[in-house]
Amino acid sequence: MHADLIGLGGIVLLAGLLARLGRRYGFPTVPCYMLVGILLGPGTPGPVLIEHPEDIAILASLGLVLLLFHLGVEFPAEQVLGSGKRLFIAAGVYIGLNVSAGLALGFALGWGTSEALVIAGALGISSSAIATKLLIELRRLTNAETPIILGIIVIEDMFLAFYLALLSPVLNDSGSTADFVVDLLVSFGFLVLLFALARWGARAISMVLNSREDELLAILMVGLVVLVAGIALEVGVSEAIGALMIGLVVSRTSLKERVEQLVLPLRDVFAAIFFVSFGLTIDVGDLGGVALPVAIAVCVTLLTNMTAGIVTARLFGFNQRAATNIGLTVLGRGEFSLILATLAITAGLDDRIGPFVALYVLVLAIAAPLLASQSRHFARFVPDRLLRSRWRYVQSETMSTSCMHQDQMEITETDIDVCQQCVADGGTWVQLRLCMKCGLVACCDDSPARHARAHYEDEHHPVIQSLQPGADWQYCYVDEILVREPLGRSRTTS
Amino acid sequence: MGQGVHMQELPGIGKRYDIDLGSPTQRISVVVRQGHIRDLYVFTSKGDEPTAVLELTSEQALKLGAVLTGTFFEG
Repeated sequence: MHADLIGLGGIVLLAGLLARLGRRYGFPTVPCYMLVGILLGPGTPGPVLIEHPEDIAILASLGLVLLLFHLGVEFPAEQVLGSGKRLFIAAGVYIGLNVSAGLALGFALGWGTSEALVIAGALGISSSAIATKLLIELRRLTNAETPIILGIIVIEDMFLAFYLALLSPVLNDSGSTADFVVDLLVSFGFLVLLFALARWGARAISMVLNSREDELLAILMVGLVVLVAGIALEVGVSEAIGALMIGLVVSRTSLKERVEQLVLPLRDVFAAIFFVSFGLTIDVGDLGGVALPVAIAVCVTLLTNMTAGIVTARLFGFNQRAATNIGLTVLGRGEFSLILATLAITAGLDDRIGPFVALYVLVLAIAAPLLASQSRHFARFVPDRLLRSRWRYVQSETMSTSCMHQDQMEITETDIDVCQQCVADGGTWVQLRLCMKCGLVACCDDSPARHARAHYEDEHHPVIQSLQPGADWQYCYVDEILVREPLGRSRTTS
Repeated sequence: MGQGVHMQELPGIGKRYDIDLGSPTQRISVVVRQGHIRDLYVFTSKGDEPTAVLELTSEQALKLGAVLTGTFFEG
């Protein structure tokens, strides 16, 4: 193989230029890279910059590996795992709806079971990069629904890891059930091994990697990641998941931040080559044949996204605006769909998967930013009764300044004027608090027994009200703030 | 956090700080992104949309902060 530097340089430069043009109009970069690959590849009439996509295969797989490694490194495990049940329900609903709709569509297309599984993933998992950039560009970082959107995306990434682990034995399909089970076990065994490494081996890894010099750290890091990815591929798990898991391991070391910064430019360059290289494999003539399935897939995705948005808004007590914001921001499909399609192509599945996913990603890449920026118009079509009618206050209000548990303020008055637990124990109290969820009256944090707080710790009823005459305040234990009228609302109602 | 400042994590982006200016129509939020870019969101009306959003590099943010805290005396 002789290096065709002119072809590679030209195509990467053009990909960058097209992406820059696209960014000016708010379009995501990933589809631009892919588009350049399609247009200047061997499958399209006209100029061809790279005749044989396999010439850049090693660079492309480096891109795939670094993409997932970075995802693992920056994975905010603590923030998300500690963010409560509701977020997991919301993300579960989003993933469940999208993946099962994708699976149904995959089977309906009749291309085969493995193909259906790939389509389910490609349709079901949204692009973190597109959603994050949209939130920044649409100036929605302080919106109430934004942390929820980000949380859903992160949980989706986590889901991707498990989905890849499930998928690789399916794609390696050897025919017999016994082999399949063995493959599945090996795949998950490898995952467990890496999880164990993440839990207990972070120090060992950081000893291998550690160097004060950025140069050496970068080299050690790339070597380790590519090695682990290669081993993963060798044992039948995909290189993608090996890279993701070693990223998770590194994220637990003290080198996390430096690695994150060092890997970022590398990732961007090689990932772009990966997307271009995916485009190169697409024959433009095949796109026409998959237009109808893609149209159906796009409609299905729109529908499932909007449904998931409404369900999430309902769970969190948001209004219509937030519901459409959630549904339309996570609409973008990009890197993960292309990764899954690449795995399918490598495994030799149905030829139509490549063009199908390519066209689907392209359509949604254009649709997602346009629709998300106009989400307030779509909000009008969401009927009131789908959302919680009582707490539409949140609007685009910052969630952190208005407590999230106002829907649990049910009881506002009581006749009880003692702390019954203190009376029973023969103790004394300073002031009294009323649990607004169940009406229990208990003593405050300045009292020796702190029964109100104990009640919160036992029952998780979030909001209390002071029963001190003249004191007109409520406090939320979960958000640790005084509950009050949301900012930005006129005071006339209070 | 200090009184009237509330922090919230934005997974994958960074941290958001809301500064309560004690008025229903005025508030400021600062988003500190992991790449050290700071977004300054200013709200001066009751509406949902921010009045202004500034994207500051860490150096610009440092200057602004120095002026605001009164530690910048040059000129």
